[in-house]
Amino acid sequence: MAEVEMSSGREVRSSTGSLGRMFQAASGLFLIFFLGVHLYVAHIDFGHPIQFFTSVIENMHNFWWLAFFIVFVWVISYHAVNGLGGIIKDLNIGEKGKAYVNYAMVALYIVTVVYGTILAVLVARIPLP
Amino acid sequence: MEELVVEVTRTDEKGNQKLQSFNVPKDKVSTVLEALLYIKENMDPSLSFRYSCRMEICGSCGMEIDGKPHMACSTTIESLKSDKVKVAPMKHYKVIRDLAVDMEGFFGKYKEVKPYIIRDDENGKYESEILQTPAQFDEFIDYSMCIKCGICMAACPIEGSDPDYLGPAPLTAIWRYVADSRDQGAKYRLEVASGPEGTSRCHFVGECTEACPKGVDPSYAIQKLRGSMVKYEFQSLFRRH
Amino acid sequence: MVEENVKNLREGPMGWAKFYRKGIGYFAFAMHRFSGLVIVFYLYLHLFVLSHLLVGKATYNSLVTSVTYGPFDSFLVLDVLLALVIFYHGANGTRLALNELGIGLENNKAMFYVFEVISMVLLGIFLYYAYMFLGAS
Repeated sequence: MAEVEMSSGREVRSSTGSLGRMFQAASGLFLIFFLGVHLYVAHIDFGHPIQFFTSVIENMHNFWWLAFFIVFVWVISYHAVNGLGGIIKDLNIGEKGKAYVNYAMVALYIVTVVYGTILAVLVARIPLP
Repeated sequence: MEELVVEVTRTDEKGNQKLQSFNVPKDKVSTVLEALLYIKENMDPSLSFRYSCRMEICGSCGMEIDGKPHMACSTTIESLKSDKVKVAPMKHYKVIRDLAVDMEGFFGKYKEVKPYIIRDDENGKYESEILQTPAQFDEFIDYSMCIKCGICMAACPIEGSDPDYLGPAPLTAIWRYVADSRDQGAKYRLEVASGPEGTSRCHFVGECTEACPKGVDPSYAIQKLRGSMVKYEFQSLFRRH
Repeated sequence: MVEENVKNLREGPMGWAKFYRKGIGYFAFAMHRFSGLVIVFYLYLHLFVLSHLLVGKATYNSLVTSVTYGPFDSFLVLDVLLALVIFYHGANGTRLALNELGIGLENNKAMFYVFEVISMVLLGIFLYYAYMFLGAS
């Protein structure tokens, strides 16, 4: 990334904010598909407004559904954390504050996807009742 | 005689604010600026506000009129469709006194984008005039209509929450010069626009476009600029410095 | 130069919510932010509820049953509101994503209305099918 000196003497380091927004838009479009499938599968397809224990376990025993939900967790967590970071960075918290927000959001993303992935894998390993 | 009630948010030198109402005869004034001038000349000479050309060219008389930023000179009394108007200083600026705000921060940001043609030619000497086709001219002419009134900055909600954000007018100026075929300063401008306070902070609210008295459409310009930014940022990932 | 004690009229984040008498883009922005925050909150609440799967069948089933069939079935109202913000966010997000790709920039306001109407129709269909099963269990 380049650094240029502005007319005021302040130095500005270019970032990848626009690429970040593009990824946010792309992940959002993926989520329309993911969430559409999820809402249909979890709230309509089983004949109940909610999925009970057995149907969740049955569902997660299928490798492709497991993979689907793990990718879903990764994408939705990225979209959520990136969006949340964007909102916080619109506050008057200074350059340093924004750098800390970036670190905090990366940490939050890692914690969320690791927890979500482990949860999905553990649920898939629960034997069918 | 029909009267217009002008309710002015006044600020003294200590920052204390108060509302003060004036009754202005409707047949003596046709715009909000004229109403303020009538008050200053006939009722309260201490009322402070900034104005110059009275014809929406100098960009001096921006203020909040009934809760939205407008030019006082081009807001007609007839368009208010009311016998009462609330006038306040523009939001997101510091108030100097009454309706006059400090524009220094805005102009500082504007200067940072180098709002002038940058050329590589030595000492600015050109062998001949730089020609443009009508299509090349059309690319930027709409954006060069900006009068630097700063109204878009008052309308932008992000500018209102973070003073570091460059804001609609400076980012539009970047696109105005990037889109100009004569300009060779794109690298500097795109670096500035790609910074953490650049185009990525615009959320396409579009209120700057709603408020712009000259029809410049800053939100559209920023979206166009963002298209260039994505390519530029992608290439810069593989570029060595 | 302005003295430091002079009032600064910067509105702060509260200004994001002041969409009254502003353009439709401002309403879309304010609601997109609000709905996004609600969905982020729900994402973590959802992960918390799903974690009960690890505790066992009885615990998980009693939890989801209590908020759907009673005694805490008043949560269904919140469920409907959640579906509303998700469908709103999805429709406006699609518009913004297409605008980001340079599609429909000139007609972005019309796109907002069209996408929202479509999403609200889909929401109605989703709620109809989801809740017709309420008495089925």
